Amino acid sequence: MAKQIVNAAPAALVGGIMDIETQLRLERFLAYEAALMDEHEYDRWMALWSGDDILYWVPCNDDDQDPSTGIAIIYDNRANLSERMMRLKDKTAHAYRPQAKLVRTISGVVPLRSEGDELEVASSFVLGEIRVGVQNIWFGKCVYRLQSTPEGFRIRSKKVMLLNNDEAMPNLTFLV
Amino acid sequence: MTTLIASSRDYGALVKEDRVHSSIFTDEQIFQDEMERIFHRTWLFALHESEIPKFGDFKRIQLGRFPVIATRDENGEVQLLINRCRHRGAQVCEAPRGNAKRFQCWYHGWTYDTKGNLVGVTGPEAYDKNFSSEQHALPKVPRVGSYRGFVFASLAEEGMSFDDYLGSTKQFFDIMIDSSPVGEIEIKPGVVNKTMYRGNWKQIGMDGYHPHYVHMSVFKIFSKRESTIGSAVGALHLEDPFADVSQSRTRGFANGHACLDFREQRRSHAAMAIDDLQRSEDGRQYVADMVANYGQEHAEELLAWHGDPHLGLFPNLQLIHDHVRVVIPISPGETEVLMYPVFLKGVGPSINEKRLRAHEAFYGPAAAGSPDDAEIFERTQRGLLADSEPWVLLARGLNREQVDEDGSVTACISDETTQRAQMQEWKRLMTAR
Repeated sequence: MAKQIVNAAPAALVGGIMDIETQLRLERFLAYEAALMDEHEYDRWMALWSGDDILYWVPCNDDDQDPSTGIAIIYDNRANLSERMMRLKDKTAHAYRPQAKLVRTISGVVPLRSEGDELEVASSFVLGEIRVGVQNIWFGKCVYRLQSTPEGFRIRSKKVMLLNNDEAMPNLTFLV
Repeated sequence: MTTLIASSRDYGALVKEDRVHSSIFTDEQIFQDEMERIFHRTWLFALHESEIPKFGDFKRIQLGRFPVIATRDENGEVQLLINRCRHRGAQVCEAPRGNAKRFQCWYHGWTYDTKGNLVGVTGPEAYDKNFSSEQHALPKVPRVGSYRGFVFASLAEEGMSFDDYLGSTKQFFDIMIDSSPVGEIEIKPGVVNKTMYRGNWKQIGMDGYHPHYVHMSVFKIFSKRESTIGSAVGALHLEDPFADVSQSRTRGFANGHACLDFREQRRSHAAMAIDDLQRSEDGRQYVADMVANYGQEHAEELLAWHGDPHLGLFPNLQLIHDHVRVVIPISPGETEVLMYPVFLKGVGPSINEKRLRAHEAFYGPAAAGSPDDAEIFERTQRGLLADSEPWVLLARGLNREQVDEDGSVTACISDETTQRAQMQEWKRLMTAR
């Protein structure tokens, strides 16, 4: 899960790819994204994505399972993600009613690569979920491709490696 | 391999023709007896041959209460071995899958081969001459049967033959297998949705009554699409397959098997299915190969059926849409469900890739379909605890059932023929001496 950081170029870890101020802005952005997901603010979260070729990917069984020859838990392009938003907001989607109460913490934000206005970033999260009296704890590592714009960061792709992606998983009823 | 402790409880009284007592979903003692009387007696799906193709390939599975190692021995046979060292009982094989010609217990080093033979004892001189390695092999699961790659096992030394168990369901297996132009499918090790729900194992199965309500959100989304050919709910834009006026039928077999029979309903959509495929090079080749291998007529119906048997074999296997589904009871209120996407052999890569995307759309913990099923099962399990009126009604369609030539019982797609078939077999096994 953490191999992206383990294998990161020394430049990324020693000298850092960005200055401290940008790093702080990055962490604030990810905390904001996390808050939107925790509060089920689907439209505002969707607005953070930019581009036609976006990818929201939660691998299944193995962090690197190739979707052309294996399955994913989520493997959404823009069209798929729009349908997912429809379902998340739909009152007749029973798995999502009631909505889970969520709190997640984001940490270990490490920029891995920078090219022009594009940035590759690794982060971790621990997420607490309570729904119908059952508390679940979820863990994951994320790798983002972000774009730095005058309005702030925007997401081009997000890969979420859930710790339990090869274990029997209950319904995943929220955004990770 | 079963310990049939006599029970003073009258399990027969819990299942009537049109209703069942809800304790069968919630009671701990009944659950334990189900393990002995059903899972340790009848036939269970073990794995698909393609999961362990080469000598030494192995996979850990669970049959009833037992951890089992499925191996491929040097003669090419599938061996099902109880995963417990004959010395002091440690689980011998820990890896979920892999390739090994030997299994070594790391407690004291005792070693077994792919047939389960004990081939190495550390310090054999400390055992007297009466100690025989032959008598300390890993026990084999006594009966193994296979139909076109689907390997089944029975933990009971004697009982119904495998052929009798399958009965007239074989043609439904064929729907899935023959959607490959070379009549071969494969399951890829390590490509599987592993899910769980907090409900009883008997809740998941063939039900044609629920989709309009449970999957209402999916119907809404799909109604915005141009075509839903190949989706988990069929070609909705052409006709609603879950309407009683459609030709879809529920079908109950002997031995507890059940299916949602969409064959007639989908046959008329063959032209659309072929049309859809003709849009890509891989699709055109696929259609041509199917016709070459099966002839025009049978190829057309196979393509219309999309390889979807929608068949449940009692107690632990379902062949639905494009996956093989294994049901693993954990406790009265907890069940694990494994969904193995099925890959067709003899087709271009984009055919299987498209199937994977169609699978992800509906099945899996974050998909559009199966989570709502899991949610409903959990709501049901919470409600079932209130057993002041304990009877669960399964009367739907009793007054309009028909019996086919092969003895299977059919009714409209929303009828509960399927649940009744399952419950009759449950009763037979739970009360058999």
